[in-house]
Amino acid sequence: MQELFITRNSYEVINDIIIYPLWSIIVFGFLTIYLAGVTGSVIANYVLLGTILWQVINITQYSIAVGCLWEVWSRNLTNIFITPVSNKEYLLAYTLSGSVKSLMVMSLGSLISYWIFHFNILDLGILNLFFHFGNLTIFAFGFGIIILGLIFRFGTRIQAFAWGLITFFQPLMAVIYPVSVLPKPLQSVAYLFPPTHVFEAARINVADQTIQWQSIITAFLLNLVFVALSVVFFNAMFNKSKNIGQFARLEG
Amino acid sequence: MDVLEVKDLTKKFGKFTAVDKISFSLRKGEILGLLGPNGAGKTTTIQMLLGLTTPSTGSILYFGRDFENNKQESLSRINFTSAFNTLQNRITVLQNLLVFAGLYGVRDAKGKIMKLVEYFEIMHLLNERFKDLSTGQKTRINFIKALLNDPEIILMDEPTASLDPDIADKTLALIEDLKKTRKATILYTSHDMREVSRICDRVIFLNHGKIAAVDTPLNLTKKIEITTLRLTYDSDKKVLEKYLRDNELEYIFQDKNVVLVKTREKMVPKIIYGVTNHDIWITDIEIEKPTLEDVFLQISRT
Repeated sequence: MQELFITRNSYEVINDIIIYPLWSIIVFGFLTIYLAGVTGSVIANYVLLGTILWQVINITQYSIAVGCLWEVWSRNLTNIFITPVSNKEYLLAYTLSGSVKSLMVMSLGSLISYWIFHFNILDLGILNLFFHFGNLTIFAFGFGIIILGLIFRFGTRIQAFAWGLITFFQPLMAVIYPVSVLPKPLQSVAYLFPPTHVFEAARINVADQTIQWQSIITAFLLNLVFVALSVVFFNAMFNKSKNIGQFARLEG
Repeated sequence: MDVLEVKDLTKKFGKFTAVDKISFSLRKGEILGLLGPNGAGKTTTIQMLLGLTTPSTGSILYFGRDFENNKQESLSRINFTSAFNTLQNRITVLQNLLVFAGLYGVRDAKGKIMKLVEYFEIMHLLNERFKDLSTGQKTRINFIKALLNDPEIILMDEPTASLDPDIADKTLALIEDLKKTRKATILYTSHDMREVSRICDRVIFLNHGKIAAVDTPLNLTKKIEITTLRLTYDSDKKVLEKYLRDNELEYIFQDKNVVLVKTREKMVPKIIYGVTNHDIWITDIEIEKPTLEDVFLQISRT
């Protein structure tokens, strides 16, 4: 409920999670028009597809990490954490609101790309989209709580991680290009990231709607490991923060 | 009946001990003051009582049950307000209160909010953004937030800090009213001795992380025997000074024809009698009894 109120009342949030992502889709859309002329429509569509799906990770992890920062900046975090809401409920609420927002942006972005750039994301198949969205959301949840753990432990001095750290890993996830273009040593690293398998599968789905079970299951299993490690990391950071008094000092 | 029991609560940050084995209890319907100079451990204690900081050792029991193992249940029955926390700045007062009503699982949230808003006379602020309110208005909204779940215990961390005297007085009046009408149980931290004397039933003095004294404000002030006698005279200063010196009294001449004499309360009649017997004309007598501030200063300087 608070997320909805903040989103409605804050230009920054509207810009970060609606306007900026949609603008990215439009910019990359025009790039695809140029690419289609040079390389053909397949590669152009890969770029647009990657840009649209990337928003699922970007918006969901942003919602979890920046959602907490909004409370810190308002000196309201203490009030939230002394309510009977458990950590689990707090994180799930932010993940849910992040997913709803990313679904909305993905839908809007898909409509724009269909009308303006003639790329229909539904060509991937509804079931494929469902699996890809699910896997990307799970990964974003894990990444979001890692950032949240770091903010709880180290305070607002690392707040830029909330909107910046994910882009550091983006090149390794082969969002708009196939893994094969990466240097050999980096390819092995790239396959450790669950989204890499999602984007690879999604690119295949542009031409072939057959469900890429191997990629989907690999991404899901990697996600399970990643989320389990993220939860352990978050709990360790949260407990450490409460032990050293950092959590209570977060609001300055 | 004790609604909060704290036993041997300790918090160490590395080698520094912020709170050192403190034990106390809070009785139902009581306002307990937690006083102490800066760095005495008041805020760390409050943070541990809210679950924001993990104690090094010791236990906290709310309503007879261990806080650590029953955190959610305990938190649903208590609340907190502080001058140092605010609500979400970007959204309106009503939106903030609806969010917290939801987080506390309040039934008929809107009805409950309206009742509290009427009580605190802030109906006109409901649709204002929280960040646009004055400090006094924010304090009142914080109080409403702290009452949304009908808490059995309210922890208040310097709720009047940074308020101007008029608003601070109104806030204290609200707390007094809460005690009278809602039988609120409150743990109250403050630096201001006068407000603690005014609203607290008992006071705990913390110093260097330890409990230095626990008693009612009246009993604590009784422990200081020294009283200040303020005499206004209309005679020769030298005669009065000779009398005070001969009787080995501690005194200081202040302004014109005014002397302050520090003495034990039971010595006051004897001094007045002695002074008048030396043909010194006394035009006014004032006895300044020790205040909680004197207790505070005495404890914090030990």
